[in-house]
Amino acid sequence: MTSVSLPAVGAAKPPAVRAGRIVLYVVLTVGALLMIVPFVWMLLTAFKSNLEIAKFNWLPQELRWRNFVDAMQTAPFLRYFRNSLFIAVGETAFTLAVCTTAGYALAKLPIRGGKVLLNYFIVLLLVPFQIILVPLFLIVKSIPLFGGNNILGQGGIGWLNSWWGLIIPLGAAPLFTFLARQFYVSLPDQLAQAARVDGLGEFGIFWRIMTPLIKPALITIAVFQIEAAWNGFLWPLMITTSDEMRPLQLGLAIFSQNPAEIQWPYLMAGTALATLPMIVLFVFAQKRFVEGMANVGIKG
Amino acid sequence: MSTTLERPALATAGKTAPSKDSRALVRNQVWAGWALLTPALLHSGIFIVIPVIAVLVLSLTDYSFGDSFDWVGFGNYADLFRDPNFGASLWHTVLYAIVVIPISMAISLAVAIGLNQKIRGLGFFRTAFYIPTVTATVAVATIWLWIYNPGSGLANGFLSLFGFAPNRWLADPGTALPSLMVVGIWQGLGTKIIIYLAALQGVSRDLIESAQLDGAGRWQRFANVTWPAIGPVQFFVLITSIVGTFQVFDLVYVMTQGGPGSSTRVLVMDIYQNAFQNLKLGYASAETVIMMIVIAIFIAAGRLLQKADTND
Repeated sequence: MTSVSLPAVGAAKPPAVRAGRIVLYVVLTVGALLMIVPFVWMLLTAFKSNLEIAKFNWLPQELRWRNFVDAMQTAPFLRYFRNSLFIAVGETAFTLAVCTTAGYALAKLPIRGGKVLLNYFIVLLLVPFQIILVPLFLIVKSIPLFGGNNILGQGGIGWLNSWWGLIIPLGAAPLFTFLARQFYVSLPDQLAQAARVDGLGEFGIFWRIMTPLIKPALITIAVFQIEAAWNGFLWPLMITTSDEMRPLQLGLAIFSQNPAEIQWPYLMAGTALATLPMIVLFVFAQKRFVEGMANVGIKG
Repeated sequence: MSTTLERPALATAGKTAPSKDSRALVRNQVWAGWALLTPALLHSGIFIVIPVIAVLVLSLTDYSFGDSFDWVGFGNYADLFRDPNFGASLWHTVLYAIVVIPISMAISLAVAIGLNQKIRGLGFFRTAFYIPTVTATVAVATIWLWIYNPGSGLANGFLSLFGFAPNRWLADPGTALPSLMVVGIWQGLGTKIIIYLAALQGVSRDLIESAQLDGAGRWQRFANVTWPAIGPVQFFVLITSIVGTFQVFDLVYVMTQGGPGSSTRVLVMDIYQNAFQNLKLGYASAETVIMMIVIAIFIAAGRLLQKADTND
């Protein structure tokens, strides 16, 4: 910066600036490597044989692609993968439906106490999930008329060990209602007015005029929610009892439970399988995701 | 443009009974508003508000699964303070927060300042620092479990290059918690860097340049212009970090299960075990309430720190 504003002054400054630059690049590059090396180590291990991992070594002797296939047979990673996908898609669809409607109502419709309701969602946004863990489990267990429960929610297991239980309670977080509302607020009211004059109903205005205009926001919310659902662990750990329903993260954790018997190449192959989709999603959605994060940070 | 769009509405409304018509229109909107809000209100009521109230009530009972329960007043709380497991997990959680939060905030701010210069490869650096954040904590934990492997893990392999003796990392009660802290710091940098970077880009260039003209050095510009300007963002990062570090669970569950001994037992781990393994839901709820109070104390302390900082 200084070299640009003061190009002619002395020969002393530019070298110092350049030295600073070099230090900056070196430090940042070392930092970036520290971030990436564990993943490289994971991938390299996934290709090694069980013999090779007995002592520390970087490169595998040969790329054993078979490890990925064998890992699938040791644990049903493919089924875990499918379950995670199902949960992520379900939670995202549910979140988009509930949070865009609520966000729109808070932003654009003249509800008495709208301001209070907005604050209500902002306060809820601060409630950590771990705090409501125990009662949330009890509520999900006592959902009436599900899982053998009677109308009072007694006698059965409710939504435990079900897709409902895995998807609904963690969808529609207040954060997303708040985010959706922020985006609707920025749309001009005249658009809705014009549509009203043309005889479009309120729901039509929401669905056909306003929502298509916040597509970037919908993508942001979807990426956030997919990531949260894909990475979820504690909740599935609590409410699933059968291997049939387990998502990938839970499968990984169970697979790594007994340190003496872990087959590291297989575990790393499974971990790669769990990691890569989110990294690919992030690289594609990077710009939007980063903007979304920054917005949450600044407006929160 | 806005007036041309509005005019027809006024015109049609003006023709017949204006007040009645527009009142119907507004009533329509109010009705639609409540209809659109209801799902979110129901969902948040059932899955957030009721649980928050329930945890307060349950904490005063000896509720266990399916059984009838009795009120025990503050009995659970009294028991908690005599429970060595609770004491250990509270201490480890606080220690984890006190170490991880300042270090990760300082590193993130430094990296963000570096990335805020005009540099090449910004996209690469941003991606590199952010990837651990988008990766599931369980996956991160399994990777580091392998890095910390005492026999052939990366950590010991790397140290041996410099002639250091191998370490037992997670298996040694003395190094287990610090080893977890390293992973926690490593994984949490990305989010903070992005938020700081956005904040730094919002700092007024004019202010920095005029400070520079007044002869302020690099450090003075940072202390007098940049630091105060990013104050609110600092507070936001601090709060989310506090809430985040108190929730640490996945990492511990996969890497150490709270061991060796109870050297890495943390609050959520203890709550989880009391609730779902010992089936003492009332007791676990009381523990949750205490966790809430400690988080509140931390946030209040952060607020005081921030106030003191801005008054300087």
